[in-house]
Amino acid sequence: MAVVMGVRVLDANGRDLRSVSRELKEVMATGAATVRRAAHIDGLVAGLKGGEVVIDGDGGDYLGVLNDGATIRVKGNAGRYLGDNMTRGMIVVEGNAGDGAGQYCYGGTIVVRGNAGDFAAVMNKGATIVIGGNVGDEVATYMLAGDLVIVGNAGRNLGNYLIRGNIYVGGRWESLGHNTRREDLTAEDVQKLSGYFEQFGIAANPATFKKIVRLSEKPFYK
Amino acid sequence: MPVMPPINGTYCVSVMKDRCINARMPGKCATCVKVCPYNVYAIDEAGNVEVQNYNACVGCRICSEFCPQDAIRINPAESEFLVRSPWTFPQVEEVHYKAQTGEYMLRGFGTMGAAPEFDHITIVPSQIASASPRDKYREECNLEVVIGEDTCEQPIRLRYPLFFPAMSFGALSREARMALAIGAAQTGIMSNTGEGGLLKDETWLIKGYENEERTLKRWEPGGYLVVQWSTGRWGVSADYLRAGDAVEIKIGQGAKPGMGGHLLGAKVTAEIAAVRGVPVGSDALSPCRYYDVQNLDDMKRMVAFIRDVTDYRVPILFKLGPSRPYDDVRACVEAGADAISIDGLVGGTGASPAVVTQGVGIPTIGLIPPAVRALKDMGVHHKVKLFVLGGMRNGLDAYKAMAMGADGVGFGAAAEIAMGCRACMACHTGRCPYGITSQDPELRARLDPEVAGQRLANFIKATAEEIKMLTMLSGHSDIRELSEEDLRAMDVNTAAITGLKLVGYERRLPWWENGVSGRLSGG
Repeated sequence: MAVVMGVRVLDANGRDLRSVSRELKEVMATGAATVRRAAHIDGLVAGLKGGEVVIDGDGGDYLGVLNDGATIRVKGNAGRYLGDNMTRGMIVVEGNAGDGAGQYCYGGTIVVRGNAGDFAAVMNKGATIVIGGNVGDEVATYMLAGDLVIVGNAGRNLGNYLIRGNIYVGGRWESLGHNTRREDLTAEDVQKLSGYFEQFGIAANPATFKKIVRLSEKPFYK
Repeated sequence: MPVMPPINGTYCVSVMKDRCINARMPGKCATCVKVCPYNVYAIDEAGNVEVQNYNACVGCRICSEFCPQDAIRINPAESEFLVRSPWTFPQVEEVHYKAQTGEYMLRGFGTMGAAPEFDHITIVPSQIASASPRDKYREECNLEVVIGEDTCEQPIRLRYPLFFPAMSFGALSREARMALAIGAAQTGIMSNTGEGGLLKDETWLIKGYENEERTLKRWEPGGYLVVQWSTGRWGVSADYLRAGDAVEIKIGQGAKPGMGGHLLGAKVTAEIAAVRGVPVGSDALSPCRYYDVQNLDDMKRMVAFIRDVTDYRVPILFKLGPSRPYDDVRACVEAGADAISIDGLVGGTGASPAVVTQGVGIPTIGLIPPAVRALKDMGVHHKVKLFVLGGMRNGLDAYKAMAMGADGVGFGAAAEIAMGCRACMACHTGRCPYGITSQDPELRARLDPEVAGQRLANFIKATAEEIKMLTMLSGHSDIRELSEEDLRAMDVNTAAITGLKLVGYERRLPWWENGVSGRLSGG
């Protein structure tokens, strides 16, 4: 294992999840780590409670699944289901993320500077998810809490059966899902968005964003 | 959806005035009024108790149980199934309900009425032409089942081939969940959280400790906690997975296959909302499929990261509903299962659309032969464990399922009944008279976790004795020796469904003998 600027570098080339994960956990017990050539490994950096991991290049599917406190930075693109079921911590992707980014999350923050695919933030239960570009269809389906910020455009059926939480969209959407309605931005919303944009270095004007919230708290059974 | 009891049929509520205290001394007793959660009885200003609405009676009989004078009788009003079928009173009322409200019916519990069942199978005792019977009173019999022996650092060693399957906190009360943990601790079996998150108390109760510090061990030998990973992912975190002795990946369930979970808002109290991480009072409806799994390869990836998060210590179980058992079991094995539970049509639940519970899925006895064949075809029969659920009642059912090739069985509804349930099928209303499926503090107070836990342990031990007795009288000293040769089907239909030899004919039906049925069902 190489050490660059005090950070240990793991080369994942040709290795499997169990092998890389075991080494990563040992390293993380005492410091930060960089993992190179890990795009073929799914489920990497799963369930860690702290520390900082840099994925130097692209990440595989389920990267940072069940993250419980670690900070994960991806220099390239992330695969599908980024940060699945995260409870704490932060994941920042410099490129794009595949389908299903930020699903089932209870907490923490996910930032994708590029675009995210379909079904992002589905069943989000409390995380803050910021997408710097566009998102696909069926995003934020059955979201129960948290904030989803889409700086660009959204596809079809955005926020379908939204229960709680807020969706902020800087651009346009093709269609809204069931149980959604537009609401005016409040001063608190603008302040919150400004904070996100400043924190994550995103150039956007919060005042131009549209806010989407739920229509009814119980859309299924009266 | 209004919270109303199910229309199970009309019950005659009879109060014998010569025994009733209130009839003689108005105001002196109103126990029936107090205990009935459905307002069948009323008390007027003068203290007179009367039956005000017999149609609201669900037949739970808690009034009869608590009446100090044994003055109440609850009986079905008439044998309508015989004289009016298919237009029985419940069927008529269901049409009226839908006509009035525009909504379909929900109900709890499992499938009612006839389905192919274990009762049409008999056990063949051992005699001169087979191995001699074993002596139940003086010889040993192995009932242990080990899960994940070759794949995990900490395999599960069930003392008996029995367990409590997934029943969530939410569907069940806190007290019921605690009772299941105590019952499992006393019998060395496993209890499953379902997908309602984890109660902290469960983690030490199931190990037999009565305190969080785990210094006071009260129940031996201690059991196993299975945490469920499902499509709603309620209360799930890395810590949640690590708290389990096994992780169960839920694919489906018997009572509502293809529908996900239904926890209606009436049951989502502040405590349940906190455990599940959802708003108070909102319907917690689990999706019917995983949003983060699109195909079998994704499922393999999911198994891989769950093993990684749990440090490769614990077994991974799969829970299937009653769909295409041969292909579904094969898929679970390919995905990396250490054990598979397969739940039949009759399987119960806390709440489900009535038509789904009643009419969707394969009956339990029809699941076992193709599931076993799939395991055999893949060379993993009895290595990847197969558990059967759905209407299992006693050691007789368990023995038959195991002789057909299963490794054990789960008791869901039977466990609720062991706690005190009278199968009134009103679980979804949140008004369970025995506090088992209710979140109402007053009703929950009726269930003592230790008493109910002891009843569960008694039930499991008695059932295990039944299995032992049946195993030994059929010439075996180990449940792993059971086989189809120990069973006979008592009618042609059962022989056709199961592939068992038919009584009298003493052979399997021809299409089982030449293997045609295997090809027809995917084998």
